[in-house]
Amino acid sequence: MPELWELSVEETARRVRGGEVSAAEVLESCLARTAHVEPLIAAYLEIFEDEARGRAAEIDRRVAAGEDPGPLAGVPVALKDNLSLDGHALTCASRILTGYVAPYTATAVERLLAAGAVPVGRANMDEFAMGSSCENSAYQPTRNPWDLRAVPGGSSGGPAAAVAAGSVPLSMGTDTGGSVRQPAALCGLVGVKPTYGRVSRYGLVAFASSTDQIGPIARNVRDAALSLRVIAGADPRDSTCAAEPVEDYLTGIEEGIAGLRVGVIREADPARLGGPVAENWRRSLDRLASAGAELVEVSVPSLDAAVAVYYVIATCEASANLARFDGVRYGDRSPEADNLIDLYFDSRSEGFGPEVKRRIMLGTFALSSGYYEAYYGRARGVLERMRQELTAALEAADVLATPTTPSAAFRIGEKVDDPLAMYLSDVFTTPASLVGLPAVAVPSGMDEQGLPLSLQVMGRPFGEATVFRVCRAFEREVGWAVAPKFLGERGEEAA
Amino acid sequence: MALTHEDVRKIATLARLRFSPEEEAKLTGQLAKIVDYIDQLQAYEVAEPEAPSQGARELEDRPHECLPREKLLANAPASMDAFLLVPEVKGGGGGDA
Repeated sequence: MPELWELSVEETARRVRGGEVSAAEVLESCLARTAHVEPLIAAYLEIFEDEARGRAAEIDRRVAAGEDPGPLAGVPVALKDNLSLDGHALTCASRILTGYVAPYTATAVERLLAAGAVPVGRANMDEFAMGSSCENSAYQPTRNPWDLRAVPGGSSGGPAAAVAAGSVPLSMGTDTGGSVRQPAALCGLVGVKPTYGRVSRYGLVAFASSTDQIGPIARNVRDAALSLRVIAGADPRDSTCAAEPVEDYLTGIEEGIAGLRVGVIREADPARLGGPVAENWRRSLDRLASAGAELVEVSVPSLDAAVAVYYVIATCEASANLARFDGVRYGDRSPEADNLIDLYFDSRSEGFGPEVKRRIMLGTFALSSGYYEAYYGRARGVLERMRQELTAALEAADVLATPTTPSAAFRIGEKVDDPLAMYLSDVFTTPASLVGLPAVAVPSGMDEQGLPLSLQVMGRPFGEATVFRVCRAFEREVGWAVAPKFLGERGEEAA
Repeated sequence: MALTHEDVRKIATLARLRFSPEEEAKLTGQLAKIVDYIDQLQAYEVAEPEAPSQGARELEDRPHECLPREKLLANAPASMDAFLLVPEVKGGGGGDA
């Protein structure tokens, strides 16, 4: 019999709603698991056990009273530390937000609470969601549960590591250029980047406003689909949040993909990467075909420019969004300054870490007089071209497939001194972000070191249901064991 | 383009950031490499942006309750009554570290 912490989101909620197990029992199982794994992976910046126990008890009271607490009843969830939860610290893993307490709750988090979920803690991340390894946290690096020497990916490294290690069955991350999909891929999980506008961003600390989206990380496709449905939908507090009705993504998710056209992008051919990713990619295409999909070749010539476009547009937006951190209204203020201008310089220089400064500098440069047209203007033009090409590709095909990442998890420290090498790991994830398409990362097997590899499926705007159906069919073909062995269970832990 | 130390100092002033000489040297090298990479964009075809497909919806302008002022001011490093406190506004060396 599996332990309660091993259960899926769907099964946990089913049992809690039916009174088979209590939310309190589920939570205690997850907290015990967390106590075991957290010293090894460092996924959390804070765990609020007592508050979680209070919420779980409330869920149990409601079940006992004959009420239905909702589709996530009693499901423990980890929240990336850029999502507001009223009365809780919120740091974005940055020194500059030391002491900040969220004065309200993000809409996505409110919806999780209303669906019966139980937040257990704030999960680690790259500072202000800038990074692909979780090494840019001002507090601690998080480790990959599959190999403690490897990064969990980023920026949602804490949320991914927490789910992979069995601390929680579900976490919420945010994805600006791949920050949910890449860590999900590196940790053997399902990660969702919804269509731009699908999920409200009220209460999310902004990084790049034209691409930021909140998305779930879970151990299987059904759990991810169920959770997205809970958080998605219009919000009067976020004017960029779309009015499109939210589908029940579980309806039809098992229907299979016979005859569905899966587009393979010629310019994203992973064969040129060589090695295990290329080999796994070929096997993934075979699996899609054997599930009944029709593979069609499509062309997106601008695809190779995606990383360059992304690092202009995202840094420009970041330089503007992060201008608000100046030591005046919130967060850390440098004690030294005796005038306002020095206060800005000192607070920002002391409060931001190296990667955040690098991106603010790059964005400020690309927006500065004399360079604006050559960099920001050019990037916008190439982005529009990419949008047209991807739109055409998604007319020739129902979904597009690529690997999620160009490699499995890399070693901690391997890329810290080479920011460009780190940026290039976003090659497959940035196009969907830039163009606002939904994209889901789904496990596709392992390399010879036993590290997870991943397939990315992109869809048409608001076509999440189709993307989930493809991912579910693929998941069945892969036959991925839902509860992989970690740490002690693999016999690696010191006695 | 080749990014120089002088460029980096100018950008830092615009960005309200200060760097030590060692940080500046490292950053200049890193940014130059990134800008070199980004320069490949000149080789790609561009398209004119159409009507924004990632734009905001127009929402009905309705009065609603604000967050309580005390709660927001509680996050300020220094405040007095309903105001944020800052040091003297005049003066300051700006970007010259």
